[in-house]
Amino acid sequence: MKLVRAFIRPEKEQEVVFALEGAGFPAVTKMSVFGRGKQKGVKIGDVVYDELPKVLLLMVVKDEDVDKVVDVIKTRAYTGNFGDGKIFISPVEKAITVRTGEVEQ
Amino acid sequence: MKEIWAVIRRNKFAQTKKALDDIGYGAMSIHSVWGRGKQGGFAMSETEAEMPSYATAAPNLVPTSSKYATEGATITKPLVYIPKRMIVMVVPDEAVDKIVDTIISVNRTGSAGDGKIFIMPVEESITIRTGEKTL
Repeated sequence: MKLVRAFIRPEKEQEVVFALEGAGFPAVTKMSVFGRGKQKGVKIGDVVYDELPKVLLLMVVKDEDVDKVVDVIKTRAYTGNFGDGKIFISPVEKAITVRTGEVEQ
Repeated sequence: MKEIWAVIRRNKFAQTKKALDDIGYGAMSIHSVWGRGKQGGFAMSETEAEMPSYATAAPNLVPTSSKYATEGATITKPLVYIPKRMIVMVVPDEAVDKIVDTIISVNRTGSAGDGKIFIMPVEESITIRTGEKTL
């Protein structure tokens, strides 16, 4: 299993989540985060904004579904400007459902 | 070393913290998150009275059509999330089973929405104060 962390624009959140649901991945955890990227934030006039609001979507999916999930996020969160976000993928060893105690490797 | 992520019910949080303190693993980061599970935002509580008002509308929501993943479509339903607490802990390998058992024993109610626990590998941990690379 893999953990997919996607930092996306807050205004794209709804679109991305519904597209993921349509693709068969309704389970998602969301956090509001602040951050900056390679461009060190944005400069508007003399003011530099280096803590930009983003939404962090966390999903744990099966190895074979990673490409599909990444593809959906990539198409739906895309605007073409700096600040569209990043997707990170890391390994997960086990996922346990509290209600049933079921362990998925 | 392993990282444990546990997404649990808000009202079980204090008990979980206490139980983890009791077995000697009290160190954790706490996040307030919103999320939905396999049910797609259907909130279930132990009792009907505890169900938040928005949750009663959730069962009537129609699942999003698979068309939406590939082509654009107009979505009229609201996006429903359920408030949760997320605990993040980095612990030694041998403590993982004990912690998972503790979290499950406190949080299991039998209804959907009890939460998930994820276990991930961690390569290194450093204490900033001392620079030590042990937990």
